[in-house]
Amino acid sequence: MLNTLNGLLIAAVLAGTPLLLGALGEILTEKSGNLNLGVEGMMFMGAITGLAGSYYYEQGVISSGGTPNGVVSALIALAVSFIAGAFGALIYSFLTITLRANQNVTGLTLTIFGTGFGNFFGEYIGQNAGGYVAVSTVTKNAFSRLNIPVLSDIPVLGPLLFQYNWLVYFAIVLAVIMAWFFNRSRVGLNLRAVGEDPATADAAGINITAYKYAATVIGGGICGIGGMYMSMVTTSGVWVHDCVSGYGWLAVALVIFATWRPAKGILVAIVFGGLTVMRMYVNIPGLPAQIYDMLPYVATIVVLVVTSMRESREHAQPKSCGLNYFREER
Amino acid sequence: MKKKILSMFLCAAMAVTLIAGCGAPAAETGGNDNTGDKTSETSKGIPKDEIKVGFVHVSDPSDMGYTYNQDLGTQEMQKALGLSDDQIVNKYNVPEGAECDTALRELVDAGCNIIFATSFGFEDYVKEVAAEYPDIEFCHATGYQAKDSGLDNFHNYFASIYEGRYLAGIAAGMKTETNKLGYVAAFPFAEVISGYTAFYLGAKSVNPDVTMDIMYTNSWNDPTVESQVAKALIDRGCDVISQHSDSTAPATTAEENGVWQVGYNNDMIDAAPDASLISPRIDWGIYVTEAVQAVINGDEIPVDWCKGLADGAVYLSPLNTAIAAEGTQEAIDAAKEKIISGDLHVFAGPLKGVSPEGEEYDVAEGDYYHEQEDASAPSWQYIIEGCNVVE
Repeated sequence: MLNTLNGLLIAAVLAGTPLLLGALGEILTEKSGNLNLGVEGMMFMGAITGLAGSYYYEQGVISSGGTPNGVVSALIALAVSFIAGAFGALIYSFLTITLRANQNVTGLTLTIFGTGFGNFFGEYIGQNAGGYVAVSTVTKNAFSRLNIPVLSDIPVLGPLLFQYNWLVYFAIVLAVIMAWFFNRSRVGLNLRAVGEDPATADAAGINITAYKYAATVIGGGICGIGGMYMSMVTTSGVWVHDCVSGYGWLAVALVIFATWRPAKGILVAIVFGGLTVMRMYVNIPGLPAQIYDMLPYVATIVVLVVTSMRESREHAQPKSCGLNYFREER
Repeated sequence: MKKKILSMFLCAAMAVTLIAGCGAPAAETGGNDNTGDKTSETSKGIPKDEIKVGFVHVSDPSDMGYTYNQDLGTQEMQKALGLSDDQIVNKYNVPEGAECDTALRELVDAGCNIIFATSFGFEDYVKEVAAEYPDIEFCHATGYQAKDSGLDNFHNYFASIYEGRYLAGIAAGMKTETNKLGYVAAFPFAEVISGYTAFYLGAKSVNPDVTMDIMYTNSWNDPTVESQVAKALIDRGCDVISQHSDSTAPATTAEENGVWQVGYNNDMIDAAPDASLISPRIDWGIYVTEAVQAVINGDEIPVDWCKGLADGAVYLSPLNTAIAAEGTQEAIDAAKEKIISGDLHVFAGPLKGVSPEGEEYDVAEGDYYHEQEDASAPSWQYIIEGCNVVE
């Protein structure tokens, strides 16, 4: 029983981490008043570029006679996937902030674009590499679970707390930093003001365009890292067609579930991750797998209903989210 | 949310079909002329440099599993017959839905004379399109409907993979330390159940205490779920993981968690050098070459085609001797000889099973279940004692 629970918790954390990263990126984006539905697309872009970055780094080093370094390879994947996600978000920002295109439509388009981008380049690189693209063991090891001396060996708690891959800790630290940034820093306060009421913020002398661009682009980069998690950890550095497979949409749902709070996001990402893997650990006889697969979505609907009933002003979607800001229309 | 994506894709698909529809007339006239010519020539066959071969795959070769292996068969055929690249049209990543119908018609429009559809769920669409184009040969892998369809141009093919799985099961049964195997299974269909039952029987033949947990992914190819299911099985104490799913995810998960794995369709030792013991494989090239050659010669293609170990249509990837238990190769070789000579039947009685629908089935002592003898598709769909389906 305890073992099953442990197994479920660990699997939940592993399944929840890409969701957390996607949701953190989207929270940052939405706090600036931009509703970017292109999370799935940006995750795809991050997934393929991160993998490609590591792969070409390895190939380059090997062809020049050296041995690739796992840490360097992992950092390259991190940087490249961030840039790719940020690039996707930059397209979105330019269209919605500068050209004032409809945010929903632009976001959905970005999803379609990113999905095609990921699968196209995944197959392209794969065919050039002779069938499929996979990173070497060095990079795989860099993304497999850590083995911290002493800590990882503690019974029960060791595997539960200290045996994840480094991206899990990265995501949690990022969430904590983001929570601090929103609630304790001047810039975070300004950003929230932009998201709530850009006109007032503008009157207070805050540069709306700069804030929106920065938040959306960095948010997109974080989503890209979430995608890189899918290709480097979940599928162990092998490009698999459609590997993000709806996780981007789950991340958007998670933002609502987390009520736009990064720290709460950690908890609900684990709950969400747990719901996606629950059927493999908790067996209720006679309950078909399809019902289990619905659980994360059912949970989102329930949370939506509950939050809208509570009408909490503090933990709700930023007021201007989804609306473009026209200074001339004030 | 998934619905939203789905409806978006449907809209996109509709838009594409519209465009394709607009562009089609010109191409179609050309196509029709060709078909006209071919009808008169069918009896004589089709010259080798004019034949066009189409494939519909559920995934693409990057899965390093099922479709990769199918693609190797295509390449083998291309080499054997000396066809050029533009005589082969591949449709990759086609879902088992209406998209398959579109893909088949696109292949027809592209002028294919013979079309292979390689996933189980394609069969209904193949049957439908085959009825409309009697001059084109349609071959469906793993299906069962050709025989009763009344169509001359619709064929099923498969290989008796259960023989290979039985042998691979021997490697697993000798390796396991916890006496518990885990099986990542796609769907509760006969094809899958026959496979894991054979695998389990192979393991049991060398290790009477072994049991096996089976968990379904409800998808042929979903690496995320495959790796999660593999992890869940490992958490249940399974120390050899096998699979009837398309990707290498179970292999890499097994390796990361320090247990062993038996693959399918592909030598997975590259993907998981410290975990993958052996993989049963199908050589699709034998059938694909035969079928295309038959169209070139103007010969009949058999309605049901199924070959196994004896003909090399089923074979095993090299054993990973660095990690396999001692004596594994000898045990496999001995069993292989007996299967080929007919002394050993995989589904030999006494054997008792219950199908997912609750139907019971008994094989009496001295008798055996005639798997894949009357039809190319596997039909053993009874879960036997020792196999524990987790759901």
